[in-house]
Amino acid sequence: MTVPVLELCNIRKAFGATEVIRGVNLRIYGCERHAMIGPNGAGKSTLFNLVSGRMRPDAGSVALKGSDITGLAPWLVNRRGLSRSFQVTNIFHRMSVWENVRAGVLWSAGERYAFWRDVGKAREVAARTDRILAEFGLADRRDALAGILTYAEQRALEIAITIAGGADVILLDEPTAGMSRAETDRAVALIRRVSEGRTLVIVEHDMNVVFDLADHISVLVYGEIVASGTPSQIRNDPKVREAYLGEEAH
Amino acid sequence: MIEALTVRSGLTARPAAPVIIARYGIWIGAAVVFAVLPLVLRSGTALTLMSLMGISIVFALSYNMLLGQTGLLSFGHAVYFGLGAYFAVHCMNAVTMRDLPVPLPVIPFVGGLGGLAFAIAFGWVSTRRSGTAFAMISLGLAELVGSSALILRSFFGGEEGVTTDRTRLLRLFGISFGQQIEVYYLIAVWCLVCMFLMHKFTRTPLGRMCNAVRDNAERAQFVGYNPQVVRFLAFCASGFFAGVAGGLAAVHFEIANSAYFSASQSGNVLLATFVGGSGYFLGPVVGAVLVSYLQVMLSDVTEIWQLYFGLLFIIMVMFAPQGIVGLLMMHRPLWRKRGMLKVMAAYVIALPPALIMLAGVALVIEMTYHLTVKAAAEGSVMTFFTVPLATDHLAAWLSGGILVVGGFILFRLTWPLIAAAWASVDPGKEQAR
Repeated sequence: MTVPVLELCNIRKAFGATEVIRGVNLRIYGCERHAMIGPNGAGKSTLFNLVSGRMRPDAGSVALKGSDITGLAPWLVNRRGLSRSFQVTNIFHRMSVWENVRAGVLWSAGERYAFWRDVGKAREVAARTDRILAEFGLADRRDALAGILTYAEQRALEIAITIAGGADVILLDEPTAGMSRAETDRAVALIRRVSEGRTLVIVEHDMNVVFDLADHISVLVYGEIVASGTPSQIRNDPKVREAYLGEEAH
Repeated sequence: MIEALTVRSGLTARPAAPVIIARYGIWIGAAVVFAVLPLVLRSGTALTLMSLMGISIVFALSYNMLLGQTGLLSFGHAVYFGLGAYFAVHCMNAVTMRDLPVPLPVIPFVGGLGGLAFAIAFGWVSTRRSGTAFAMISLGLAELVGSSALILRSFFGGEEGVTTDRTRLLRLFGISFGQQIEVYYLIAVWCLVCMFLMHKFTRTPLGRMCNAVRDNAERAQFVGYNPQVVRFLAFCASGFFAGVAGGLAAVHFEIANSAYFSASQSGNVLLATFVGGSGYFLGPVVGAVLVSYLQVMLSDVTEIWQLYFGLLFIIMVMFAPQGIVGLLMMHRPLWRKRGMLKVMAAYVIALPPALIMLAGVALVIEMTYHLTVKAAAEGSVMTFFTVPLATDHLAAWLSGGILVVGGFILFRLTWPLIAAAWASVDPGKEQAR
């Protein structure tokens, strides 16, 4: 019996009187590509916030690779190997593209809060940063300020920062939102490549992307998971068709 | 990849002399300038002024570790400067009294430790927050320490402060530090070392993460960094160097008093850093040199020099928030495109009207000051750049008004010229970054 990489046990979260997450149970195993779908306001982003340490759940527990991370600060969660991106682009605007990615590399490379070492001499860090930039097609933009990139480039940078630390669990929050068809296709190919050998959890609205990328899908409706399974199971689940996919399957 | 390779080869082979010059040339150049300056500018005033500049440079750079690098706006940086000075003075007195083998050049380090100790204590509280909350806490702490300086007399010496004698410490190589030139060189060496270290700091993992926290503290949390720790460590480093600056001031003035903690001290370092350009390492250096110069020179020319300081600050905030160095850096692409001459020509045309306008503004300010404050005692006639003016006559005011309005109209007419010069050099970009 393998331990789930990510395990959510009866997670609850309320904002004031509104209960947004109402007892979510979820197990995600190693190397899964797990998509989280559901209508707007279902609580998908909130669930990400609860798992990544941005918010503290009111009840329930989160376990990462078998150890409890409930209520840990975001940086502690990140150091244990879980990294996330954001729905609204969240980058370091006044730093160069290269420095943005390097910021994602530094902690995991053991540089920590060092103020006695020249960061320019950290060869491993520089090499890894270069490799990631090349992989994301951002190499020729390396010296540009992140704030002046195009939207699609910023989205790519957002993911680059997220995976830079080498975390083995990656949470992507609507990585293709606002992209054109062609940009989306490129992004999906990129995500598939960089999530190779890692566990990916992705919130996505674009059903093409979801069924293209994911090998597991969970459907979140009003703070509860109504179905979880393989893409074909989800496609044929009557509850899901009723609640979410609507009539299109008829 | 290429960079990674060159770095690797640079490490395996011992760097040759040209590499050392390329890497440290600018520091060697700075050292030469610092060493030669007092041989060129020999007057006592110049020597004192340059010493003050050295102290200000260290202080302003330490301030920019917070403002420019970490995005923390402090209104109370003088606290660490002042405490550094007090620690230095008390240390000098203790050393003198007990005849300890401590030479004067290490005293600024004691000041730095004093600044560091209190930065640890106060930073622990204040760096839990950023933004407005941090600014308010810094203001509160400045008030707290400023008033303590008058209450805790045994340490702070009340109104008079604590005096010392820098010549009575252990002498190395027979240097007594009785001469200003000796003090200048002590300050120059410390200034250079601190500049070097603070520049190095910007190139460390922590220094880089300071920028990340400045830009987006939330994102920094999700790449493994606790922004509070980053801010706290930056604050400590900043407090240390502010303390060194205070220690240098103590050595220079041979006194520490409550004026070191004053709000104007905190305000001046903010002003110098901002006017110079907080986004650049050299910004605070330029700002510190300029502000120290104006402080000494402008106060000889006019009694209300602080008002002009305020105007300068407002103008910079409104029209050039990137600071003087930022303005200069804006022109860097012009060098490459050989458009510098064209743009400079436009500036030369715009300069006289701008000066006329400034003269008009200064005239109106000075006349207002004379008429409202000094006319009762000294009569209504004042001199403005050697020209006697009757401030109670319409003619003087009219001429002031004409200078301001006429100067502005002419100046305004030159703007299209400057815009055209820029456009001819850089047609692609409407506005240079």
